[in-house]
Amino acid sequence: MQQGKGVERRTVLKAAGASLAVTGLGATATACGGGSGSGDGTVTIRYAWWGAEDRARRINKTIDLFEKKYPKIKVKTDFQPYPDFWKKFNTQASGGNPPDVFQNAIGFLRKYDAKNVLLDLKEQVKAGNLRMEGFRAGLDTFGEIDGKLLGVPVGSNSMALVIDKPVYARAGITPDMGWTWDDFDEAMARVRDRTGRAGDSGMYGVMYLYDLYLRQNGKAFFTEDGLGFTETDLTRWWTKAEKGVRSGLFADPKKVAQIKPKSALSAELAGSEFTWDNFTVRYTSEGKSEYGLAPIPTTDGKRTGQYLGSLMLSASKRTQHPVEVAKFIDFMVHDPEVATIMGYDRGVPATTAQYEAYRPTDPVNKAIAAYEESLVEAGVLEPITPHPNGADICEAAFLRIGEELGLGKRSVADAVEQFFNESKTALSS
Amino acid sequence: MGTAVTHAPATEVRAKDPEPRHGPGTPPRPAGLKRRGRRENLAGYLFMSPWIAGFLLLTAGPMAASLYFAFTDYNLFDAPRWIGLDNFSEMFGDPRWRHSVRVTLWYVVVGTPVKLLVALGVALLLAQKRRGQAFYRAAFYAPSLIGASVSVAIVWKAIFSDDAVVDRTQRVFGIDAGGWTGDPDLIIYSLVALTVWQFGAPMVIFLAGLKQVPRELYEAADVDGAGRLRQFWNITLPMISPVLFFNVLLETIHSFQIFSSAYIVGGGAGGNACGPADGSMVYTCYLYVQGFENSRMGLASAMAWMLLVAVALVTAVLFWSQKRWVHYEEGGR
Repeated sequence: MQQGKGVERRTVLKAAGASLAVTGLGATATACGGGSGSGDGTVTIRYAWWGAEDRARRINKTIDLFEKKYPKIKVKTDFQPYPDFWKKFNTQASGGNPPDVFQNAIGFLRKYDAKNVLLDLKEQVKAGNLRMEGFRAGLDTFGEIDGKLLGVPVGSNSMALVIDKPVYARAGITPDMGWTWDDFDEAMARVRDRTGRAGDSGMYGVMYLYDLYLRQNGKAFFTEDGLGFTETDLTRWWTKAEKGVRSGLFADPKKVAQIKPKSALSAELAGSEFTWDNFTVRYTSEGKSEYGLAPIPTTDGKRTGQYLGSLMLSASKRTQHPVEVAKFIDFMVHDPEVATIMGYDRGVPATTAQYEAYRPTDPVNKAIAAYEESLVEAGVLEPITPHPNGADICEAAFLRIGEELGLGKRSVADAVEQFFNESKTALSS
Repeated sequence: MGTAVTHAPATEVRAKDPEPRHGPGTPPRPAGLKRRGRRENLAGYLFMSPWIAGFLLLTAGPMAASLYFAFTDYNLFDAPRWIGLDNFSEMFGDPRWRHSVRVTLWYVVVGTPVKLLVALGVALLLAQKRRGQAFYRAAFYAPSLIGASVSVAIVWKAIFSDDAVVDRTQRVFGIDAGGWTGDPDLIIYSLVALTVWQFGAPMVIFLAGLKQVPRELYEAADVDGAGRLRQFWNITLPMISPVLFFNVLLETIHSFQIFSSAYIVGGGAGGNACGPADGSMVYTCYLYVQGFENSRMGLASAMAWMLLVAVALVTAVLFWSQKRWVHYEEGGR
């Protein structure tokens, strides 16, 4: 402790103080990073969606187009596979830092409206920043909940049986509109016997398919505030599923789990898969085969229980730039050139302007258009099932417990009980 | 070395003793120096302030908050609602929670001993003097340096999945498991294999412990005609038992906290949260699912505190047990 060191110490102290101040400033600067506006009036908005590589490439092209037309708006992007997207979104939203604009689906509207996350876009419509005219098939009200406009549809889609065309040809199956579940079971067996591949990838865990089956029988997966079916219903559905997995009609869930995020269909584990019709676009880029669309099997030879679904764009309530976000959504749903880039990746374009701008020439997109036209012609489309708050958690539980059943880790009775327990918790909170 | 580690706090206290503030023999300081002392204290605190701020804001604060949340229903969006012990009773009644406890215990009970055995075995080999020893040590330690990373977990998933290296090798021997990562019963073993592969850290500590064992003891044993096994059992093991204790403690606590490898090998992008049919659903994975997938932060906080209590209990039992098997040399070499 000599005298001379005091000076040095003071200097060091000052330095420490200064570096502390700098650290402090650094922290503030990072904190401000979210509120993005710079001197020349350029505004940055964050846009997030879920999907695979192929969709990301298309979307990035549409963003380039947008930025060219609106040089004062910059778009920062972020994408994940479906389940991961919502985990990240949920965390961001709860931390008060959600993306300004993001892809959304029907099952999440009530949930995030209840949590005060979604911006009512009605005001931007009134201000003329977002046009809600020119939508097809009543889609303009698809994202309306309790009089609030919470999502703007980008395209319509519907559930379908996506098939591996060469496999179905080899098995000698041509499904027609109105084919029944008995026909379907027979087809599964034929695919298995003649091509050595499982018929289906695991339909028993797909909430949106079971919903259609229930609707064919006068029920539905959800009511306004709960589940629309009983334990007995599900026991029947999953008993059939268990047999299907054991007998090789449905793909081995062990293998399906290991090729994720690739699908069982494009990985050639199964000959077909129940999913949204626009998925053929993704599977075509992911797999080696040709993929086509077959109708949903029916119970009575007529009703498929289908409805038009839609992916949407939503804005978050906390966005600093509602005007720019509204202009962005408007551009994405109306601009004809966007339609030619996106194709039917997110469904058949929602607005007539985009629908007419893109006339598919390739077999994949042509098939999607033909499929949705055939639904209209057959007159099978009905109003959509309600999706109460908690629907997304039920969907995930249905898939997971269905998989456990397929893997033989649960008996049917056990699986049914577990699903009803979990959904009760999810729907009551 | 072993004693130095386990008695670290005691040595610290002793280290301060040589220059006591107002100890006998030192003349009382004048007032000016007292002020200087206070200023020095202040300087000390200032230097510590980044750490103190970090501790308060990033550790103590969140911990206190999570203790509070553990007794509430909290979904991140709405204000937390006090529900007393409901989270805990829900936890115990939840079959998925009990499953996650079983998976974790299995992982700890199988993984930790195997890892330590491998670490000790390799340390014994590396303790011998031979050429290129430094290289071997570095080579064996390398996996531990990269082991905790996400990329290794991804590689691991690729190695153990269907039609990959492990699966194909197995098939040569006529075993067709169809990939470990898709099998609810096998996936946990791929995680055990991953942790065993990262034996480097305990190995280094074992090595240090082995170096501390006095040569004379072995020489004496040689003279008495004791064989290698006997020497290991009666000299090496008791002499390194403090190091062994330290490793057991550390690795057990570590194993309870396993998350990233289970999360990535079990699911990763677009997959399930933690393995097919919850096969790798370790405790922290389920905590993550409840917190971030189901937005039940109150329940997740309660689970976190439950884990802390469980690990504390296990640690206490280990400490209590050391009387029976850990041998400290008197006088602390």
